[in-house]
Amino acid sequence: MANEESRPFRPKLRAGARFGSEAAQRPILLFEDVYKSYRPGAPVLRGMNLVIERGEFVFFTGASGAGKSTLLRLLYRSETVDEGRILFMGRDVARLTADSIPFLRRNIGCVFQDFKLVASWSVYENVAIALEVLGLPQRLVRSRVGEALDRVGLSGRGGDPAGVLSGGEQQRVAIARAIVGEPALVLADEPTGNLDPQLAIDILGLFEEIHESGTTVLFATHDRSLLEIRPRRVVVLDAGKAVDVRAGIATKQHDGDFDNELPL
Amino acid sequence: MLDLSSSTTRRAKRGLRREWRLHALSVFSLSVAFVCLAAALLVVTNLQAIEKRWAHAGRASIYLKDDATSSDVTQLKNALAKVSGVTAVRYVSSGQARDVFTKDEDPKGALAALPAEAFPASLEVDVAPDVTDEGLTEIVSKLEKLPAVDDVETYQSWTERLARLVRGGVAASAVLAVIVLLSVLAVVGSTMRFALQRRRAEVEVLRLVGATDRFVKAPFVVEGSLQGAMGAASAIAILGAMFVIVHSRFDGELAALIGVEPSFLPWPVALGMIALGAMLGAAAASLGLRKLVQV
Repeated sequence: MANEESRPFRPKLRAGARFGSEAAQRPILLFEDVYKSYRPGAPVLRGMNLVIERGEFVFFTGASGAGKSTLLRLLYRSETVDEGRILFMGRDVARLTADSIPFLRRNIGCVFQDFKLVASWSVYENVAIALEVLGLPQRLVRSRVGEALDRVGLSGRGGDPAGVLSGGEQQRVAIARAIVGEPALVLADEPTGNLDPQLAIDILGLFEEIHESGTTVLFATHDRSLLEIRPRRVVVLDAGKAVDVRAGIATKQHDGDFDNELPL
Repeated sequence: MLDLSSSTTRRAKRGLRREWRLHALSVFSLSVAFVCLAAALLVVTNLQAIEKRWAHAGRASIYLKDDATSSDVTQLKNALAKVSGVTAVRYVSSGQARDVFTKDEDPKGALAALPAEAFPASLEVDVAPDVTDEGLTEIVSKLEKLPAVDDVETYQSWTERLARLVRGGVAASAVLAVIVLLSVLAVVGSTMRFALQRRRAEVEVLRLVGATDRFVKAPFVVEGSLQGAMGAASAIAILGAMFVIVHSRFDGELAALIGVEPSFLPWPVALGMIALGAMLGAAAASLGLRKLVQV
């Protein structure tokens, strides 16, 4: 049984309970006038506004230094905004205390360009840790890790040391770790950056499978070839703002002007 | 308070296996500190046993002058038998004193070569347990005035010196305990900080998947606790070995000299030291990791 400390961050979304059924219709992510700079006078994000609906698959692209990685780091609170709000499932991420950040991250699966695996651990241990922090019993951890490895095409490889795997296999392990906890949101920060083109397509395919199960996926990449594989929503970060591009056609620029103000 | 789940112990075992050289060095440093403390405790333990043995000796030795005659001895014995508090009086001649003293000695040793005249004759007086030190002093002051009496030994000054020695030993042990505490904090704290740096990648991953500070720290605290316990246990083992060697070399001579058989640290004290080492190690690891890697 998960202990008190491991209580999930996400609010209960059952009709008639604490939140109304309309809560399930609210965007999963809302960026409101987000400012972030690392140097005075050179903001990376300036008044960025963006809405991400539940179950969306969104590509983030832009020039190097446009703020793709910054945006994702703000989401999982590795960085804090200078101004503005980031609402994840109705909660302002920027205002979370340090003690609450772990509980936020348990609801977000992260995949990085450099995989961020512990090379000395086995494949199983690298994936299982995402469940062990929740305090789940070992029997349950074993079965869910097995399922996750199966989903990413690494079943039977649990005993292998992570350090001896190829780049593509390591990224699959990272993806398994990101999804084993069934998070509401998966962030992918240039996950194919260190992989060859064919592997990159395979990895993108994995993310699409994950998305098909209902998970919201944010995929940051500068690889334009990936954007053309599927007609997904594409958000371009330009001059610190988010520009929505769908299927190669520029539609609107989100600039603090919403058609319907969503109740929060 | 401390998460001792299987995940924690697994990660702690992994850390110990991977960094065994670092931990071995730390345990060695701690055992040096604990040996000093254990040695002080050993000395205090035996001093307390000696003090207990001699504290109320319940006897006095009246050393007779060389020209004391047998009638002087008889008169003294009769007089002493009438003194309130005296339960027994026994005459020990020079030859008998020599025999008692050299009983356990090597016949070819230096002590055994001494003549009987080197040992004064004495009257050994047993005093009732309820006689106070003041009462004994009064008896002694009367005896010293008698012409046949050379000296009277009640062993009070010796036991007072011994009591002061024991108090000094206890104070020294307290100072050593503080030094050991600081050593454990310094050694374990810095070892754990070093181990944390070497495992930055692991800590970073833990942070990313939503581990709390307590979850991240837990295996390090377990490792620190083990270091402290093993340091104390090693010290006791080393001291025990030294005790056995010294004891076997000097056999009964020490017991003859001090009147009690030297003993090693009692089991509760030894176990208490190990428990103290474990607690200090855990505390030192926890304090040393106050600032964890932030991701």
